[in-house]
Amino acid sequence: MQLKTRRRGRVRKRIAKLSAGLLAASLAGQSRDAAAQYDTGSNDNFGPGIAYSQLDAALLIYQEPGGRVSATEPTLDLSVHGADGRELSLGFVADAVSGATPNGAVPSTLPQNFVTPLKAVGSTATLTSASGGSTIIHLPPTPGQLAQAALGRQYTVAADTLPVDKGFRDHRGAFNFGWAQPLGEITEVGFGGGYSRETDYQAITSNAHITQNLNSNNTTFSLSLNGELDSSFPFGGIPTPLTVMNAQWKSPTSRDKTQLGFVAGWTEVMTRWWLTQLNYAFDAQSGYQNDPYRVISVVDPASGQPNSSLYESRPEKRQSQSLFWDNKIDLDPAVTELSFRYYTDSWGIRSKTAEISENVPLGQSFYLEPSGRWYQQSAANFFHYFLVGSQPLPQYASSDFRLGAFTGITYGAKIGYHINGRSEFYLKGEYYTQMGNRHPADAFGQLKQQDLFAGTNAAVIFAGYTWDFH
Amino acid sequence: MRVARTGEDYRVSFAAMATPCEICVQTEDRALAGQLGRAAQQEALRIEHKFSRYRGDSVVGRINASGKDGLLVDAETGALLDFAEECHKASDGLFDVTSGVLRRAWQFDGSDRLPDRARIAALMPLVGWSKVRWRRPRLRLLPGMEIDFGGLAKEYAVDLVLRLLTSITGEPVLVNFGGDLRVSGPRKGNAPWHVAIESVDKAGTAAGMIQLLSGALATSGDARRFLMHGGVRYGHILDPRTGWPVEDPPRSVTVAAETCVEAGMTATLAILRGPGAEIFLKEEGARAWCIR
Repeated sequence: MQLKTRRRGRVRKRIAKLSAGLLAASLAGQSRDAAAQYDTGSNDNFGPGIAYSQLDAALLIYQEPGGRVSATEPTLDLSVHGADGRELSLGFVADAVSGATPNGAVPSTLPQNFVTPLKAVGSTATLTSASGGSTIIHLPPTPGQLAQAALGRQYTVAADTLPVDKGFRDHRGAFNFGWAQPLGEITEVGFGGGYSRETDYQAITSNAHITQNLNSNNTTFSLSLNGELDSSFPFGGIPTPLTVMNAQWKSPTSRDKTQLGFVAGWTEVMTRWWLTQLNYAFDAQSGYQNDPYRVISVVDPASGQPNSSLYESRPEKRQSQSLFWDNKIDLDPAVTELSFRYYTDSWGIRSKTAEISENVPLGQSFYLEPSGRWYQQSAANFFHYFLVGSQPLPQYASSDFRLGAFTGITYGAKIGYHINGRSEFYLKGEYYTQMGNRHPADAFGQLKQQDLFAGTNAAVIFAGYTWDFH
Repeated sequence: MRVARTGEDYRVSFAAMATPCEICVQTEDRALAGQLGRAAQQEALRIEHKFSRYRGDSVVGRINASGKDGLLVDAETGALLDFAEECHKASDGLFDVTSGVLRRAWQFDGSDRLPDRARIAALMPLVGWSKVRWRRPRLRLLPGMEIDFGGLAKEYAVDLVLRLLTSITGEPVLVNFGGDLRVSGPRKGNAPWHVAIESVDKAGTAAGMIQLLSGALATSGDARRFLMHGGVRYGHILDPRTGWPVEDPPRSVTVAAETCVEAGMTATLAILRGPGAEIFLKEEGARAWCIR
């Protein structure tokens, strides 16, 4: 006899949810590269819970058009998974960055000169070669500006051109590690740390996290704490905020910034094909927040011509909060990821992000993953395109376009090829466009005919190789 | 492994998990069928090797041989244990992965030998999930206790193999391990799969034909494994609370559900209700076929 009623009872509802949870839990390393895995005829595949290691090597190339910033970044990540849930991860990054960065000043109908410290006459400071079209100048002592004779680096920006400093060149090396394991009834506890160093900046990071699965792995709660200590030691020393840009060797030579924060997360297997995650993050930063190389123009109240450039000034404290909602939707065979983020901070920036990506298998060995991202932020309350000469100086001012209002859109696509069950090659391309107000309402005089938005477009190419081994 | 063409399908059959296994794919591509068959067999053997209670080197074998300190288990085994624990709760103790030791007393070979009551009573202290200490990732059993995923592993394997195969191909696929089966979706042209339910008395004759567009079917029953004593038929499903076979169960319960694990668990819980099986299935709103 066939029994037919469709309304699910209590037990069946529960069994259905448990079954979905069981299968979701086994999803981990299972299906991703199944096709290729079985082609090799090897029979020591990695099921869930089998010890294995994963190596991921990638090269990132970042390029802004028009000779602005370009970067090359090789990365190497290694993770070792034990059968009992222990995991060790190590990561190494190196990068080389060069190109021209906007220095913060407004364009002018006249050519503009900018000077930065090179070294004091007779000092033993390392001389970086004057590159990017700059010249070395000898500066006599000037009362109120230069206490003693110095060498300066001067660069000239043509009329009606966004002022950029072409002498920007740096190398960075970074290392990070992490450890995670189950502990008693706790699903996972872990900690990690990292160190990153470039010529004029150093960051030390640490974190600890705890994760608990409940409800047959259908629910996961996590909490992570993050701490960071950054030190800035810019070439030429730390400029005093809102003083005139000059070639003086400044003191102090370094300043620190500390950051403390936490992320609380909730992940839920809603149905067999839908996984959702909600994260709340809080961060508090304190210390030196300025970009030591960045200036803001003070313009003539009548003509709008820049008269001088002052080093920027940002508040020393910043608190931020963000809410992140992520969804993975597995509508066989394609997997969609859809996420939203809302961010707000004490500097007055509010931002919204929406992101979507779609993973589509192509035949047995390839997959394609197109993606799109939309980002919009409001300006920090101390963001100004320029300052006006006749008005009193504000306490804080920055013309960094990253603190201004803008909209960013990123289009990308990733193509992956499973070489065999153990290794995968992937290539990812992204194009980023930034749109902001090029002609703000408060522009006057010659500023009206200038493009005041310093945002840019950028292209990123990623090539990587992932290898799983015992 | 055998590959055979029947109608529009390729059928690949192999033996694993102590049962005939078959995958059926609606395709013209023989090589694809072979590839799917190898993948399915390999995954089935992986699960069998990992969870067989007959192998000392399986996770279950190692758990059952572990001492008072128990054993640290991997995430997949942990997920199965969590599932078993939750099903134990949801069924008020009727489903219990520790009841396997009772098989030392019961032999379902079609004969009329009933075990000695004292022998069953002696085994009962070793039965009961509540005596197990399961704190991920460590599982501790009382000395002499055993766990057995036998009532679960086959359905679990069907679900995992189906997922594996659909990650390889978009062609319609059916995975059938000894009568527990799941399909990837409808056949081409939105046509259903036709699945026969086996008769309980004359093995092999079709008792019914089910049209399946999606999801899974699992059957629980004692068509061939039973004891007859004094005119009473004792099925092979034991009530972990008494140590005796469930009284007056349906001979076979087939349940349709989204996943094979869900279908199998629902069918098992129905059988465990004995005379109340049909009422249980009706109350729970399961799409089910009962044969008495």
